[in-house]
Amino acid sequence: MAQARVGSMKAECCSGHDATSILSRLHDRDSAAIVRMISMTRLQLLGMAAATALFATAGVHAEGDKAAGKKLIYTCAGCHGVPGYSNAYPQYPVPKIAGQNEQYIINALHGYQSGDRTHPTMGAQAQSLSDTDIQNVAAYLSSLAQ
Amino acid sequence: MKRALTLLSFGAILAFASTQLLASGNAENGKKKAGTCFACHGTDGNAVDPQYPRLAGQYDEYIQQALHEYKDGRRNNAIMKGMDATLSDQDIEDIAAYFSSLPTKLDTLQGHVEGDK
Repeated sequence: MAQARVGSMKAECCSGHDATSILSRLHDRDSAAIVRMISMTRLQLLGMAAATALFATAGVHAEGDKAAGKKLIYTCAGCHGVPGYSNAYPQYPVPKIAGQNEQYIINALHGYQSGDRTHPTMGAQAQSLSDTDIQNVAAYLSSLAQ
Repeated sequence: MKRALTLLSFGAILAFASTQLLASGNAENGKKKAGTCFACHGTDGNAVDPQYPRLAGQYDEYIQQALHEYKDGRRNNAIMKGMDATLSDQDIEDIAAYFSSLPTKLDTLQGHVEGDK
């Protein structure tokens, strides 16, 4: 009801009526509705700004150090550096990880840390890596795509 | 003698179990079954979105292993569990055969370690 009134006020405004005369005719209810509308927009803007900030930080966060990653993968190469090298049991080749996608590697290593992926060797290896280490490893490995 | 036979049969079962895992599927059939995979992993098996892995040229048996692990929960991933639920062992073999046959951007770490070159 109040909002409809505000709408019609807006229409009057646009059709060239004197603004002060319109304001003088505003009911308390109408002003309250206007304030509500303005504060809502402000809230949405704040939300958007917060989301943008979050996204930006996430972007910066994912930026790993390739040179540091290259040093860290020394251990990985014991298994992942031998073409066709297999686990003992169950028997399957350890995956090719050079050139793999960055976020997937980050997710996989966190998965081994949390237990969402169960593999004794990889679980132990992932435990020894910090979040920054994982980002650096992922940055280097993904940069090797042929 | 009896014990030796028992041991032998255990060995045979183990051997059979591991050879079954190593069996290779039919890549042509795999291409037809992999339709739903393409949305995330790319039609060429090289996922564009970095959160999804490249599958093109990955080891056949490794893809099979991963699919079995997603299916039975050894890897806990909601999306892949849903995708895997309807796949038979034969489907898994065929799909793995298809993706592993595609031109790859992947490699082992050989030659990529600090001090290698």
